[in-house]
Amino acid sequence: MGEHELHSLILAADFSVDDVESMWSSISARQDHLAGMAAHHVVVYKSIWEPGRVLVTIGIRHPNSVRDVLRSPAIFELFDVSGVDDIPAIFAGEVVEKIDLHETSPDDAVAHVIVGVITLVQDVATLMDKVHGAADRFAHAGVRKIWVYRAFDDGQEVMILQEIENEVRARRWIDHPDAAAEWMSLGEEERSDPSTGAHPTVFVGTLAHLMTVDERVN
Amino acid sequence: MFVCLCTGVTSQVVTDLVANGAATSKQIADACGAGADCGRCRRTVRAIIDASKKQDCPVHAAR
Repeated sequence: MGEHELHSLILAADFSVDDVESMWSSISARQDHLAGMAAHHVVVYKSIWEPGRVLVTIGIRHPNSVRDVLRSPAIFELFDVSGVDDIPAIFAGEVVEKIDLHETSPDDAVAHVIVGVITLVQDVATLMDKVHGAADRFAHAGVRKIWVYRAFDDGQEVMILQEIENEVRARRWIDHPDAAAEWMSLGEEERSDPSTGAHPTVFVGTLAHLMTVDERVN
Repeated sequence: MFVCLCTGVTSQVVTDLVANGAATSKQIADACGAGADCGRCRRTVRAIIDASKKQDCPVHAAR
């Protein structure tokens, strides 16, 4: 991976904890440590099908080196306070595009379902063309937002977060995704078997916590 | 994905080593350093090794 100048870095880790709320209390009490590693936000999604499973994303400002960020004590401490001994593989990348497919409505107050996938695709640019071409179909299937991130260490690796109207439509999307959503079918067997590979299985959850880290803390 | 936070070793590096014959987490650690320091990534390293074995298995490969 090239250590070129980075504008913004997103880290994502999928793991399980005994108590999500306790984990969040511990993390949110350490804003100074997060500010020390130039984090600007922390988001926790909580699985709706697997109790204790979380997807945590951390946005980091202008890091000089991904590896320096990853080996910083604050990252290890994140897992320590979460009670996680075995550190999972971590996605590190940048935003490709955030696509909004829905119109704002009173329903926006409802907690929608997040379907997260980290996988390899053939080509990110081609993928984005397909997504734009199928936007109407995606919206019709209940997909409200698609956030696409590209890994720094592998040009074919992406993390895709999809916000879907509700759990029923999320399940339908997982079982019968649109052909343009190639990330939902690539590595299907890998995702269905929790014991395989570095990539986590498909994550289905809701937003549990979001924290903006104050730059002035520290 | 980054497998080893201590060394910055990625899943691609581990996968390549496994493809070239590494079959244990110790062999991976000796070859690239992943898991040699704090050891907290060894579970992921083993998962990558296991995934490779499944791909090599005729039953899984035929799926």
